[in-house]
Amino acid sequence: MNLDALEVRQSSASAWGSKTELRNLKVVSKLIDTSTCIGCKACEVACQEWNDLHIVPTTQTGTYQTMPSLDANYWNLIQFREREIGPDFAWLLRKDGCMHCGDPGCLKACPAPGAIVQYQNGIVDVNPDNCIGCKMCETGCPFDIPRYSEQTGKMSKCTLCVDRGQVGLEPACVKSCPTGCLEFGDKTDLAARANERVEQLKQNGFPQAALYDPPGVGGTTVITVLAHGDHPEWYGLPKDPHVPDGVRFWKNIVRPLGALAIAGAFFSMVGHYLSFGPKKPKEGAETPKGDGQR
Amino acid sequence: MTRMPVVEQNGMGDAAMARARRTEDIVVGDEIVRERLSARVVHWSVALTFFICLFTGLPIWTPYLGFLAGLFGGLHVCRVLHPWAGVAFAVASTLMFVQWASQMLLTPADREFITPRGMLKYFQYRNEDADVGKYNGGQKMLFWAAGLGALGLLLSGIVIWLPQENFGQWLRQASYILHDTAFSLFFAMIIGHIYLGTAAEPGTFRSIVRGTVTKSWARLHHPAWYREVTGEQPRS
Repeated sequence: MNLDALEVRQSSASAWGSKTELRNLKVVSKLIDTSTCIGCKACEVACQEWNDLHIVPTTQTGTYQTMPSLDANYWNLIQFREREIGPDFAWLLRKDGCMHCGDPGCLKACPAPGAIVQYQNGIVDVNPDNCIGCKMCETGCPFDIPRYSEQTGKMSKCTLCVDRGQVGLEPACVKSCPTGCLEFGDKTDLAARANERVEQLKQNGFPQAALYDPPGVGGTTVITVLAHGDHPEWYGLPKDPHVPDGVRFWKNIVRPLGALAIAGAFFSMVGHYLSFGPKKPKEGAETPKGDGQR
Repeated sequence: MTRMPVVEQNGMGDAAMARARRTEDIVVGDEIVRERLSARVVHWSVALTFFICLFTGLPIWTPYLGFLAGLFGGLHVCRVLHPWAGVAFAVASTLMFVQWASQMLLTPADREFITPRGMLKYFQYRNEDADVGKYNGGQKMLFWAAGLGALGLLLSGIVIWLPQENFGQWLRQASYILHDTAFSLFFAMIIGHIYLGTAAEPGTFRSIVRGTVTKSWARLHHPAWYREVTGEQPRS
């Protein structure tokens, strides 16, 4: 599937915001079916290789998980969770990485013009040339994805292999997946396939199976089939993610009010000067010799 | 300026004048030394570091002021300079706080001055009856607000600056909100401060540059201080 031109839908810190939709381009998606993931971590290796990321020392945490959480040089991490569900024991595997939100909190928080862009196809990408490494995106993200790299002084995260997509290839992780639990394609098609999988799971003893495509963040480009869809938090996913309230309050309320306060101070002072002028001694007040105002 | 003849009249040479300026609250010729050299240096250290923080921070604050980043070589440079300028600002503010804190305690006259009625009279130039000392109530409140603002900017700035893993999500969000709020109010306040110290009150700016003011300026703006320093009645 070729991604055509990478037209921008939204760009960080840009006045023109989201007014660039000239034509409707395909919106892509990556489907993660957690129920068929076997935890082989081929996707982790493929991601490291394709994106030429540095080797990160692994950490033994008592599970098969490579390291506790994502890293500036590790964008794709299979999380291993163990849980007793009633009489059963479940081993919950989930591929953690950027969800490529429809309403990206990282982009909302970013102060550097063009450092974070969302393409028309839905991919949220970082432009390292524009990134200033301020880490505000880390606070904006409801999924705890962006990582600051001490080596580059910039933020990094999964690009959904946008460079591969441009030449008609699927992302490296999808390419490497041996069970077909990862799929890449048109979002409408993949959502339909995902719902088929959910139906299958429901018929096979998982009545609560569901597709994770949270509306709070405008849907995600990366959609996830969860056997225990009523409990996304069991997989380490927030139940109802949205751009954090504090970030929205900061950007939408505090900032314009602050600008108003500054402009208000400036114009009141101008108004005061025009109304009252400079404060001088009253006419006729005694002024000793050589005691002039400067 | 007609200062020189008066100095001769008092028998003071340039050297004596320079010595006199190292202290403050004393009459030299027909001028009063209001701020000693060290006080002025500390004030301008705060002002300089504030403006570096301001101009490196504004392009990060809003893309509409992104052109200001060009003053320093781009947004990347601003991002590197801003926190260090902030540290320098915090250090300078601390010095200023230590230097002036004891002089900024509110007297009953100051409390009257900072009531809405008192402020209105002040801005309408109808406060001849106010017995204003060396600093008026508004200046004192500016001092405390600047100290509080600098503290808020420093603490929230540290959270924003250091690696984010050190802090919880809520603390980071609160820090962005606090940093923005403190900055906006601080800048609005400084706009008023600059206006009152220059255009609105002629003769004031030199007190923080050369350190001296004229007697008539002191009589007009700080009558109680004038009485203290000269032993004369400000209004006869």
